[in-house]
Amino acid sequence: MTGSFITLEGRSRGYRNAVIALGALALAGLVAFIISYVAGHQTFGSSNTVPWGLPIVLAIYLIGLSAGSLILSSLTYVFGREEYRPIARLAVFLAVVLIFGAMLAILVDLGRPEKFWRLFMFFYMNNMRSMFAINGILYGGYFVISLVYLGIIFAGKAAAARITGIIAAAWAILVHLGTGAIFGFIAAREAWFSALRPLEFLAAALTSGVALLIVAVVATFTLTKREVKNDMIASLGRLLAAFIIVLLVLVFIDKLTHLYAPARDAVIYMLAGPSSWIFWVFQIGLGAVVPLVILFNRKLNKTVRWLMLAAAAVVVGVFFERYYLVIPGAAYPQAYAPGHIEGVWGATGSFALTPIEIILAVGIVAALGLFYLLGLKYLELTPALPPETKDDGETDP
Amino acid sequence: MVIDLDKCTGCQSCSVACKAENNVPSGSPEEHTRRLTPFWQKVIAVSSGEYPSVSIDLIPMPCMHCDDAPCVTVCPARATYKREDGIVMQDFRRCIGCKYCIVACPYGARSFNYKEQEEMPYHRPDLPPERADRGPWPFPRRVHGVVEKCTFCFHRIDAAIEEGKKVGEEVVPACAEACPAHAIAFGDLDDPDGNVAQLLSSRQATRLREEMGTSPKVYYLLR
Repeated sequence: MTGSFITLEGRSRGYRNAVIALGALALAGLVAFIISYVAGHQTFGSSNTVPWGLPIVLAIYLIGLSAGSLILSSLTYVFGREEYRPIARLAVFLAVVLIFGAMLAILVDLGRPEKFWRLFMFFYMNNMRSMFAINGILYGGYFVISLVYLGIIFAGKAAAARITGIIAAAWAILVHLGTGAIFGFIAAREAWFSALRPLEFLAAALTSGVALLIVAVVATFTLTKREVKNDMIASLGRLLAAFIIVLLVLVFIDKLTHLYAPARDAVIYMLAGPSSWIFWVFQIGLGAVVPLVILFNRKLNKTVRWLMLAAAAVVVGVFFERYYLVIPGAAYPQAYAPGHIEGVWGATGSFALTPIEIILAVGIVAALGLFYLLGLKYLELTPALPPETKDDGETDP
Repeated sequence: MVIDLDKCTGCQSCSVACKAENNVPSGSPEEHTRRLTPFWQKVIAVSSGEYPSVSIDLIPMPCMHCDDAPCVTVCPARATYKREDGIVMQDFRRCIGCKYCIVACPYGARSFNYKEQEEMPYHRPDLPPERADRGPWPFPRRVHGVVEKCTFCFHRIDAAIEEGKKVGEEVVPACAEACPAHAIAFGDLDDPDGNVAQLLSSRQATRLREEMGTSPKVYYLLR
């Protein structure tokens, strides 16, 4: 093993303030959850046309980030790429934290969250034909496997880490294919129904996972005054560019397939409908064009600052990709009968984000940031400093 | 169930009767515009054509009780299931409120309880005492956070079978009973001599969204 890992001291003012701020936000999220639990989901913006709201957007987004960053860690532990070793532990830890957040987000979106355990009564009380029940196995197993993986890495067993790394990476791919299948297999929603959806989700997961890893690593290393290796970030950037292109191709093929067939109303709605600006500005603009311009610019793709900017743009862009699929995608009205359905039954669903669900989502993200910071303090995640440098606090990536 | 579109006047008696029979919560107009109000039975108006030559179809839409119901497939908690007689049921005790069935239903037949039900607007001595989220219907109240849908008034059917009455002639679901135009007929589709089979053979019939492959059990006699 080259290099060793240490914990952060976490005594600085910046660290303490960050923990307090994130703790307060997480607490606000908890209050919002209690309100939504007591008053019912009328406090959310969702309705019978758009049944899923911000928590589900957040959930699939976090699953993507988690799976992406876990697959990346396998570069070191499975393929033996030593240059990524300084960040590999961080990647696995991020994956564990993020999948926990994803399950939390699904939990708060359940109408009866106290019955969540019914999702995990596999084969006994579950309908195993349901994509949700299958994903219950995938998410639960993924959480356990990545915890074991992290434990083995901490124990420093290289051979065992290699085997669990392979299993974990394969499982992470399954997790994302499964998440895409939740949406892609629903024939009733034209904007969702697509065989490419699982693959698109996988590509989006890898894209956002690398991007978040770049952001987290650069932020953590800079704020703790560690040296950020230009080469490492630049090679991650090249990886990111490749994933973005794969994602773009998949999105393009998916839209084109649906545009080519005569039943193209749904995809026209997605591409040119009232909320299609989210697609063009965030998903394509911020999620693909901006980062690709940066990543293919010979000057910019060598500097950490610009690479970080590109990665941050992708993190935001992929979030809105999920947002656009879950909320405006579901709002497209269903054709119950041929002709124009009058009134509320044929109207495009409206969706107004409510303060409660925004606080809830922010609270979940804050809780994850808190776990991340506490993890840095109590687990040996960051590479050891060269002697005589003193570590300092850092803030949430 | 067979619905005669020629007889339907769009009076919404079926929707109202259904709400009364099953204590489906009513909501404010604003909630209805946001699509928060549960409906087990709705009547949609479908227009086709341009101004001088327009035709309007009024289509009452209960749950279609599909033979191959997408909601049954996607429900992770086995809260939605198909009974032996083909009625697709919803068990509030099992429902975790993930809303996947609302997403998957091609007919918009399912509603989520977005808020706690208000006090019962009327008295129903024939129903057992309140046991909020326990067991399937008939229970007058349910908690918020569960999904509900039309049950073809299965409590009426079950009671009729127990008492030896003829389902479809003496006892029908509340919507069929309330329809002033007798547009809704209810009965056993498998019975070749039944009222429903006779209606179906009399005129051209269709089902909604047959391309979905769900084989709905609600037929429409065309105008």
